[in-house]
Amino acid sequence: MKSLADILKEIRPEFDFTASSDFITDGMLDSFDVVTLVATLDKTYGISIDGMDIVPGNFKNLQTIETLLSKYKSPK
Amino acid sequence: MEPVGNIGRVYSAVQKAKTGASGFITNFFPVQRKLQGWIDYGDLFCESDESAALFFRKDRDFRHFYFCAANAVALQERMAASVVLKKERVMTDLVGNEAALSDLLTLLKTVGFRQYTRLCRMARTAPIEMQQQSSSDSQIVYATQADCRAILDLLERSFNRYAEQLPMLYELEAAVAGRQILVAKHGNAIAGLLFFETQGFTSTTRYWLVDEQFRSFRFGSALMRRYFETQSAVRRFILWVIADNENAIQKYHHYGFAPDGLVDCVLANRMIPV
Repeated sequence: MKSLADILKEIRPEFDFTASSDFITDGMLDSFDVVTLVATLDKTYGISIDGMDIVPGNFKNLQTIETLLSKYKSPK
Repeated sequence: MEPVGNIGRVYSAVQKAKTGASGFITNFFPVQRKLQGWIDYGDLFCESDESAALFFRKDRDFRHFYFCAANAVALQERMAASVVLKKERVMTDLVGNEAALSDLLTLLKTVGFRQYTRLCRMARTAPIEMQQQSSSDSQIVYATQADCRAILDLLERSFNRYAEQLPMLYELEAAVAGRQILVAKHGNAIAGLLFFETQGFTSTTRYWLVDEQFRSFRFGSALMRRYFETQSAVRRFILWVIADNENAIQKYHHYGFAPDGLVDCVLANRMIPV
C-alpha cells in the first residue's frame, strides 16, 4: 500500500512534503488538492472521510493527516 | 436574505450543512483574508437552513453564488426556494475535473443556470529560464495606491466582469499594499500590468495584460520577466484562462505553462444577458 508521502508526491510532485510543517501556508496544497487528496485517501485506505473533517487544520502536515487517518482506520 | 455580519456566521452555516451530510457538496473555498474583506464591506449575504447554505457576494451589477449542502437534494430544494436566484443577476463557478462536475452541472441547470464560459487552469513547475532583458524592463515597477483607479479601469475595459472575477477597488488597494501588482508605465499612463497572488511556494497569475495602444512596446514580456524574477522561491506557477482564448493560451505555453486538468465551468442564471 502507498504511504501518505507517496500519495502527496503523486498529487504535487514538485514539492517535498517532508520538509514542511504547514502545507497550506506554504502553498503546497490548495482547496482543490485537498479534495483530490481526500478522494485518494478514501480509495487507498477503504475509508470515507466525513465532510466535518475536511477542514484545513486536518491537512496541515503529515502528522495531522496521519492523526485524521488513524481515526478512520482504528477499529470501532 | 441577510448580510453576513461576521466570519463565525459563515462557519456556523457551513458546519450545519456538513453535520450528518450524506454527500456533502460545495463550491465555496474562500481564503479567510478575502472572506473578511467581503464581510467588512457588506458584500456577503447568506440564506441557510439545517442542510444547505447559499452565499451571495455583491460584484458590480450582479452577484457571485456559492453553496454548501448536505447533498444534492438539499441543494436543489434550497436553490428552488431562493428569490435571489430567480430575480437577480447571478453567476457561479464549478471547479474540478470535467468528469466530476457533470452531475452538479445538470443540477444547476434544473434551477435555470446555463453554461456561460469555461476556464482551464494552466501550471508551470519547471525552473524559470530568464530571458534576455530589454529596454522596457526599466519601466516595470510595483503599482502604488495612486494607480488603483487606472488599474481598475484597465481591468474592466479588458476583461469580462461576469466570467473573470474582477477585483473590487478595496481588493485592488489591498493587493497594491501587498506588492502584488506590477505595472508597465509609459509616461503617466498604465500601459500594462501583472497582478499575482503568492502563497508560499505557489504563485497565481491573476491578470496579465497590456493596453491595446501599447502592444508593440514589449511590455508584456517585460512584466512576465520581472514577475518571475521577484518570485524566485516559487516552485509552482498557476493561472486560469478562458478555454477558447487561443491567443492567450499560446502566450502562456511560450512561458512554460500547460493545462493541468482542472476546469472552471462558469454558469449564468436567466437574468444575465446572453
